[in-house]
Amino acid sequence: MALRQSPTPVRPLSVDRSVARLCEAFDRVPVAAVIRRAEDLPRALASQVPAVFFVRAPAFHLGPLVWAVQARGKMAFVHIDLIAGLGKDRAGVSFLAREIGVNGIITSHGSLVAAAKSDRVITVQRLLLHDDLGLPSALAALERARPDIIEVLPGVIFPAVVSELRARVTAPLLVGGFITQAAEMRGALEAGARAVTTSTLSLWP
Amino acid sequence: MAVRTPGLSAELLPAVRDGAGLQQALDLGYRQVLLERGSLLALVGQLAGAARRGIAVFVNLDGVEGLAPDSAALAFVATDLGFSGVLSVKPHVLRDASRFRMRTIQRIHALDSTGLETGLKSMASPAPLAIAVAPALTLRQVVGAIRQVTSAPIWGTGFVTTPDHVREVLAAGAEVVSSSRPEVWKEFRPS
Repeated sequence: MALRQSPTPVRPLSVDRSVARLCEAFDRVPVAAVIRRAEDLPRALASQVPAVFFVRAPAFHLGPLVWAVQARGKMAFVHIDLIAGLGKDRAGVSFLAREIGVNGIITSHGSLVAAAKSDRVITVQRLLLHDDLGLPSALAALERARPDIIEVLPGVIFPAVVSELRARVTAPLLVGGFITQAAEMRGALEAGARAVTTSTLSLWP
Repeated sequence: MAVRTPGLSAELLPAVRDGAGLQQALDLGYRQVLLERGSLLALVGQLAGAARRGIAVFVNLDGVEGLAPDSAALAFVATDLGFSGVLSVKPHVLRDASRFRMRTIQRIHALDSTGLETGLKSMASPAPLAIAVAPALTLRQVVGAIRQVTSAPIWGTGFVTTPDHVREVLAAGAEVVSSSRPEVWKEFRPS
């Protein structure tokens, strides 16, 4: 008689596999393309980047864009905080995950990371470094939310916080924000970023 | 518009979170502080006392716990506490603050180009006294975009942790630099 298994955490396993796959791809090409304008998408599709980050896209016309990315074997991430027309809540996450089928969501809010845990999407939490006095509470929020991946912004501040960050969290670190030159990209990678996120087309390999 | 509270007297603005930080800044001869992060209790205690003694106190309203971002809070900060000015990323907060004759400083979070664009599009009206760029070290990369929309003086704040950072931010075009580090305050203490 087959034993009934205890409820398996389906999501964590498959999401963990996706994160591992993405990290392997970043080891070869350490860049995610940030799409600020729809016109830039063809360049991203033709490039070797393993992931495309949509910021500021309209929620209800996102499907074809996301599917075009996935048809190229790339992963599509959507910044839910900036998406027009979508509630910044559990139902909004579910729409992106189940109706559109995004690979992951990006958010600055720990509560949305938690809401996304019941959906099969990778969670990318943004660590916004505007104020050093706010760093302790921002790090505590990351520890509570336990996102799959952390995106640190802006790039110029990353080297100053990377050791403290590494001591507190184990998630892969992406670095973005005003990375417009090859030297800035190298600096972030040398400081310990798994990949950079950039909307600068000339940095997409 | 007549503003009767004291203004800035030095290019370095100590960022404090409590009365202890305030005292350190005053001991170094500063007559100005920025409450960058903190609580309502810090505000009503020693900082209010300092403002009464003629110290220019600026407060980042987005970073103070216990204050609502509304007119009642601004009336309290302006009238009861006598603070010199407020910072916020929210244009409506600054609009309210200008009604209470406070100096208004528009915070711009310079985290990535998308966010910067959004921040610059939603500048406060009436025009703020200054623009505070956070974190300050991005100023070199963003000063061009800021200058396209405003000629207001620029402050740099956030992650200014060494004297060299201060010099870099001043060189990038800031008139005022805020730092939370006492070792930086010492280097730039008013003579």
